[in-house]
Amino acid sequence: MLHSIYATSMSRNPEEPVYNRIEEARTALGLSRQELADKVGVHYQTIGYLEREEYSPSLVLALRISSVLNQEISQLFSLTPFKKGK
Amino acid sequence: MPKKNKIYWLEGVTEKGVKALLADQNPKYKWLRSQRNRRILVVLVGIGNVLVAMGSYWPTLKTNLDLTEVAEITIFSVTAIFVIFAALMGYLFLRISVRGIADAPNELLDERQVMIRDTSYRYSYQIMGFLVMMLLLLMLFGREVQMFQPEGNDGSYLLISLLFTFAAMPSMVLGWRERDI
Repeated sequence: MLHSIYATSMSRNPEEPVYNRIEEARTALGLSRQELADKVGVHYQTIGYLEREEYSPSLVLALRISSVLNQEISQLFSLTPFKKGK
Repeated sequence: MPKKNKIYWLEGVTEKGVKALLADQNPKYKWLRSQRNRRILVVLVGIGNVLVAMGSYWPTLKTNLDLTEVAEITIFSVTAIFVIFAALMGYLFLRISVRGIADAPNELLDERQVMIRDTSYRYSYQIMGFLVMMLLLLMLFGREVQMFQPEGNDGSYLLISLLFTFAAMPSMVLGWRERDI
């Protein structure tokens, strides 16, 4: 229990993290974290957690982010790490 | 027409109050946001609650100090007011430091905030269960504190402290655990 209290990872399933390219797609569109957060209806800290892959979004949030960033969901989220530069 | 400020009676918060905390509208509280400062605040609130609980042991303490009646009443009153006020202020700052997330309703939070709030309640439930059990054992088997005694130590300050702790525990867990909030 003590270990759990000190742990700060917030993934829905820490053993199977969801990798993403949110930061890359967001900066390509020239959006700040706050702007993206406002468009998808979350707190800006949540965007930070998502970009650091410390939190895995729900399907609804993932779809909203994909829509705002004009990307297919599979281009933005993956269960395996993205290859760099791809 | 300005939008009405919705009051959430069950949670003890208002819509505008929670939104202001979530949006960092008041920069003078930014120093409370770092995890180090939040953890210091959690420790201080914990110490404050223990001090409130110690009020139950005042009759034993005053006997050992051998005070006059006036000094006894003065010291006890001033200390009790100061400690309870400090504990309440600590709780207020703690709520601000975690952006009111621990007491906010679902509709004002995003999904991550709902998740961390719910997790904090799960740990709070376990911790409070342990504390209540300790208190019951203390009152059952402790020689000095008994409930509803006309003279000597009574457990009322222990109960007040437990109520403070009960209210503050979700914010304490949140403040301690979360890196960014």
